[in-house]
Amino acid sequence: MMDDLDLLKEDWKKQEKSLPRFSYDDIYKMIWKRSSSIVKWIFIISILEFLLGVVLNIVVADDEYWENMGQFNLTEFTIGAYLVSYIITFYFIYKFYKNYRQISSTDSASVLMKNILRTRKTVKYYITFILISSGIVFLVDLFFIIRHHIIAAEPTGKDMSFSALQWAMFISGTLVVLAIFLGVIWLLYRLIYGILLRRLKKNYKELKKLEM
Amino acid sequence: MNKELEHQFVTNLEKHQNIAHKICRIYTNDQDSHNDLFQEITIQLWKAYPKFRGDSKFSTWMYRVALNTAITLYRKKKRSIRTQDFEGISFKIKAEEYNNEVEQHLKLMYDAIKQLNDIDKALVFLYLEDKNYAEISETLGITEVNARVKMNRVKTKLKSIINP
Repeated sequence: MMDDLDLLKEDWKKQEKSLPRFSYDDIYKMIWKRSSSIVKWIFIISILEFLLGVVLNIVVADDEYWENMGQFNLTEFTIGAYLVSYIITFYFIYKFYKNYRQISSTDSASVLMKNILRTRKTVKYYITFILISSGIVFLVDLFFIIRHHIIAAEPTGKDMSFSALQWAMFISGTLVVLAIFLGVIWLLYRLIYGILLRRLKKNYKELKKLEM
Repeated sequence: MNKELEHQFVTNLEKHQNIAHKICRIYTNDQDSHNDLFQEITIQLWKAYPKFRGDSKFSTWMYRVALNTAITLYRKKKRSIRTQDFEGISFKIKAEEYNNEVEQHLKLMYDAIKQLNDIDKALVFLYLEDKNYAEISETLGITEVNARVKMNRVKTKLKSIINP
């Protein structure tokens, strides 16, 4: 066995000639690759999320859905909301893509740190956009639905007006539901993007340590 | 300061990159995973570089960090990396340099190494690199006696794989 291993050792030394070689630049780029792959994932996830949203919209928005929307006078608003949110989402996907391109061609620590900060900011703006738009859609839908019920109730002559206490209860109830609704969305996004953002933050801290 | 550290690190790594390539050859089976592991080693080395004070040689330190990376990465991915396809192994043995029998035997041994576990691979690698037991024990963080015992076991294991 010893002879075998010696033979192997000899051959191992000869293998050295056939080893691949990376250039200075290749290795230099590798140091920064990790952040770039995180940012790439943010970009990919944003696209997947957009596609999922489109599919959900198509599945949910059947004839009955549009009939209901028509009943509540929400058709125009819903179409408008879809349009606006698609445009803004496209804008964010474009931003994520740009961040990814920028970070992969980065060649110095200080620029990379700037890019990491920018990416984190973009994600935070994106989540804020999702929360605000969800809140607006929720409130507008609610307003139109209540108005529909008041109008529908009028001919029956029933008294639909609220007392001050009823209003207070109604508004606080709505706010609680809205808070839970937005909280769930926020949690979901923290879960999806939070892990990636935390990793970016860690990279940033490490870079900062090197800078000092 | 930072620029200078980067330059220093990349220059050092470029010079000693063979160590990482050889580890990749032991631990991976195809070019893609070879490059993946190389990149992971580079990142881990760079992360650890600020702690490297130059009290040991760059190469000594690199053996330790790079092997640790290979071992932990291998552990994380468990057996999923292991394919039975040894065609992709890039050990190029020139036919003119060996007679057929020796060539066959070498291939058998390289295949046997691929079947070892992550720690055993590290031992064989350091053995092939002509490291003495003091260096092996330092690199793997075990005692010299332990290194000796382990090495003998690996040799026996290799033997039993080659001659079942």
